[in-house]
Amino acid sequence: MAAKLFPVIKLVTKVSVAGGALYVAYDTGLLGSGEKGAEVLGKAKAAIPPALQEWMKYFGVEVPAPPKIDLSPKETWNTGVQKSVSALSVAPTKVCEYTNQGIQYLKNLSK
Amino acid sequence: MSEKELGRKWDRCLADTAVKLGAGLGLGIVFSVVFFKRRTWPISFGLGYGLGMAYSNCQHDFRSPYLLHGHVVKEQ
Repeated sequence: MAAKLFPVIKLVTKVSVAGGALYVAYDTGLLGSGEKGAEVLGKAKAAIPPALQEWMKYFGVEVPAPPKIDLSPKETWNTGVQKSVSALSVAPTKVCEYTNQGIQYLKNLSK
Repeated sequence: MSEKELGRKWDRCLADTAVKLGAGLGLGIVFSVVFFKRRTWPISFGLGYGLGMAYSNCQHDFRSPYLLHGHVVKEQ
Protein backbone atom coordinates (compact mmCIF):
# COMPACT_ATOMS: atom_id res chain seq x y z
CA MET A 1 0.00 0.00 0.00
CA ALA A 2 2.76 2.43 1.02
CA ALA A 3 4.82 1.39 -2.00
CA LYS A 4 1.90 2.29 -4.29
CA LEU A 5 1.20 5.59 -2.56
CA PHE A 6 4.80 6.84 -2.54
CA PRO A 7 5.05 7.70 -6.28
CA VAL A 8 1.70 9.53 -6.09
CA ILE A 9 2.84 11.54 -3.08
CA LYS A 10 6.12 12.28 -4.83
CA LEU A 11 4.27 13.53 -7.93
CA VAL A 12 1.87 15.64 -5.87
CA THR A 13 4.80 17.22 -3.97
CA LYS A 14 6.65 18.01 -7.19
CA VAL A 15 3.55 19.54 -8.82
CA SER A 16 2.84 21.65 -5.69
CA VAL A 17 6.43 22.93 -5.53
CA ALA A 18 6.52 23.84 -9.22
CA GLY A 19 2.97 25.22 -9.17
CA GLY A 20 3.74 27.23 -6.03
CA ALA A 21 6.84 28.75 -7.64
CA LEU A 22 4.81 29.68 -10.71
CA TYR A 23 2.04 31.18 -8.59
CA VAL A 24 4.50 33.25 -6.52
CA ALA A 25 6.10 34.55 -9.72
CA TYR A 26 2.66 35.50 -11.11
CA ASP A 27 1.41 37.00 -7.85
CA THR A 28 4.42 39.27 -7.29
CA GLY A 29 3.99 40.69 -10.81
CA LEU A 30 7.19 39.17 -12.20
CA LEU A 31 5.34 37.94 -15.29
CA GLY A 32 3.21 41.04 -15.79
CA SER A 33 3.64 44.29 -17.70
CA GLY A 34 6.78 46.42 -17.96
CA GLU A 35 5.71 48.88 -15.26
CA LYS A 36 5.07 46.10 -12.75
CA GLY A 37 8.47 44.60 -13.53
CA ALA A 38 10.23 47.92 -12.91
CA GLU A 39 8.26 48.32 -9.65
CA VAL A 40 9.29 44.85 -8.47
CA LEU A 41 12.95 45.59 -9.26
CA GLY A 42 12.76 48.82 -7.27
CA LYS A 43 11.19 47.00 -4.28
CA ALA A 44 13.84 44.24 -4.47
CA LYS A 45 16.67 46.84 -4.59
CA ALA A 46 15.22 48.53 -1.50
CA ALA A 47 14.68 45.23 0.36
CA ILE A 48 18.05 43.53 -0.30
CA PRO A 49 20.47 45.66 1.85
CA PRO A 50 18.39 45.38 5.09
CA ALA A 51 17.87 41.64 4.44
CA LEU A 52 21.64 41.20 3.90
CA GLN A 53 22.32 43.11 7.14
CA GLU A 54 19.93 40.81 9.04
CA TRP A 55 21.60 37.67 7.65
CA MET A 56 25.06 39.04 8.42
CA LYS A 57 24.02 39.73 12.04
CA TYR A 58 22.50 36.25 12.33
CA PHE A 59 25.64 34.47 11.09
CA GLY A 60 27.98 36.88 12.86
CA VAL A 61 29.81 37.65 9.62
CA GLU A 62 31.04 41.14 8.88
CA VAL A 63 31.10 42.02 5.24
CA PRO A 64 32.83 45.33 4.39
CA ALA A 65 30.60 47.99 2.91
CA PRO A 66 30.69 48.09 -0.90
CA PRO A 67 32.81 50.96 -2.30
CA LYS A 68 30.80 53.88 -3.62
CA ILE A 69 31.45 54.23 -7.30
CA ASP A 70 30.88 57.75 -8.57
CA LEU A 71 30.73 56.59 -12.15
CA SER A 72 27.35 56.90 -13.81
CA PRO A 73 27.15 54.69 -16.91
CA LYS A 74 24.35 56.83 -18.35
CA GLU A 75 26.35 60.06 -18.08
CA THR A 76 29.50 58.41 -19.37
CA TRP A 77 27.66 56.92 -22.33
CA ASN A 78 25.92 60.18 -23.17
CA THR A 79 29.18 62.13 -22.92
CA GLY A 80 30.87 59.55 -25.13
CA VAL A 81 28.15 59.80 -27.75
CA GLN A 82 28.23 63.61 -27.72
CA LYS A 83 32.03 63.76 -28.02
CA SER A 84 32.11 61.19 -30.84
CA VAL A 85 29.38 62.90 -32.84
CA SER A 86 30.88 66.38 -32.40
CA ALA A 87 34.30 65.01 -33.45
CA LEU A 88 32.67 63.49 -36.55
CA SER A 89 30.92 66.75 -37.38
CA VAL A 90 34.14 68.84 -37.25
CA ALA A 91 36.25 66.14 -38.94
CA PRO A 92 35.90 67.41 -42.56
CA THR A 93 36.79 71.00 -41.56
CA LYS A 94 39.76 69.84 -39.53
CA VAL A 95 41.00 67.59 -42.33
CA CYS A 96 40.87 70.53 -44.77
CA GLU A 97 42.68 72.75 -42.28
CA TYR A 98 45.47 70.23 -41.65
CA THR A 99 45.80 69.51 -45.38
CA ASN A 100 46.17 73.25 -46.11
CA GLN A 101 48.68 73.58 -43.29
CA GLY A 102 50.64 70.63 -44.69
CA ILE A 103 50.62 72.09 -48.21
CA GLN A 104 51.74 75.48 -46.85
CA TYR A 105 54.55 73.81 -44.92
CA LEU A 106 55.71 71.93 -48.03
CA LYS A 107 55.58 75.16 -50.09
CA ASN A 108 57.66 76.91 -47.45
CA LEU A 109 60.15 74.05 -47.51
CA SER A 110 60.49 74.17 -51.29
CA LYS A 111 61.14 77.96 -51.31
CA MET B 1 7.41 61.25 -27.54
CA SER B 2 9.76 63.60 -25.68
CA GLU B 3 13.40 62.70 -24.91
CA LYS B 4 12.61 62.45 -21.22
CA GLU B 5 9.69 60.10 -21.83
CA LEU B 6 11.86 58.00 -24.16
CA GLY B 7 14.57 57.79 -21.51
CA ARG B 8 12.01 56.70 -18.91
CA LYS B 9 10.69 54.03 -21.27
CA TRP B 10 14.19 52.68 -21.84
CA ASP B 11 14.84 52.56 -18.08
CA ARG B 12 11.58 50.70 -17.55
CA CYS B 13 12.41 48.36 -20.42
CA LEU B 14 15.85 47.45 -19.04
CA ALA B 15 14.49 46.97 -15.50
CA ASP B 16 11.71 44.75 -16.84
CA THR B 17 14.23 42.72 -18.90
CA ALA B 18 16.33 42.09 -15.78
CA VAL B 19 13.25 41.02 -13.79
CA LYS B 20 11.89 38.75 -16.51
CA LEU B 21 15.28 37.10 -17.11
CA GLY B 22 15.65 36.50 -13.38
CA ALA B 23 12.13 35.07 -13.11
CA GLY B 24 12.67 32.87 -16.19
CA LEU B 25 15.97 31.62 -14.79
CA GLY B 26 14.44 30.90 -11.40
CA LEU B 27 11.43 29.06 -12.78
CA GLY B 28 13.67 27.20 -15.24
CA ILE B 29 15.89 26.00 -12.38
CA VAL B 30 12.84 24.91 -10.33
CA PHE B 31 11.34 22.97 -13.22
CA SER B 32 14.69 21.48 -14.19
CA VAL B 33 15.33 20.20 -10.66
CA VAL B 34 11.76 19.04 -9.95
CA PHE B 35 10.68 17.46 -13.25
CA PHE B 36 13.57 17.14 -15.67
CA LYS B 37 16.41 15.55 -13.72
CA ARG B 38 18.60 18.67 -13.62
CA ARG B 39 18.92 19.00 -17.37
CA THR B 40 19.98 22.32 -18.88
CA TRP B 41 17.25 22.83 -21.46
CA PRO B 42 14.47 23.97 -19.06
CA ILE B 43 16.81 26.70 -17.79
CA SER B 44 17.58 27.85 -21.35
CA PHE B 45 13.86 27.68 -22.13
CA GLY B 46 13.02 29.79 -19.07
CA LEU B 47 15.66 32.38 -19.95
CA GLY B 48 14.41 32.55 -23.53
CA TYR B 49 10.80 32.81 -22.38
CA GLY B 50 11.67 35.65 -19.99
CA LEU B 51 13.64 37.48 -22.68
CA GLY B 52 10.77 37.09 -25.12
CA MET B 53 8.22 38.44 -22.63
CA ALA B 54 10.48 41.41 -21.85
CA TYR B 55 10.97 42.13 -25.57
CA SER B 56 7.24 42.01 -26.18
CA ASN B 57 6.53 44.36 -23.25
CA CYS B 58 9.20 46.80 -24.42
CA GLN B 59 7.85 46.74 -27.95
CA HIS B 60 4.31 47.45 -26.73
CA ASP B 61 5.57 50.25 -24.47
CA PHE B 62 7.45 51.97 -27.28
CA ARG B 63 4.62 51.58 -29.77
CA SER B 64 1.81 52.58 -27.39
CA PRO B 65 1.71 56.34 -28.20
CA TYR B 66 1.34 55.57 -31.89
CA LEU B 67 -1.29 52.85 -31.66
CA LEU B 68 -4.71 53.76 -33.02
CA HIS B 69 -7.72 52.18 -31.41
CA GLY B 70 -10.60 51.68 -33.80
CA HIS B 71 -14.17 50.63 -33.28
CA VAL B 72 -16.20 48.46 -35.59
CA VAL B 73 -19.46 50.18 -36.52
CA LYS B 74 -22.12 47.69 -37.53
CA GLU B 75 -24.47 48.63 -40.34
CA GLN B 76 -28.02 48.84 -39.15
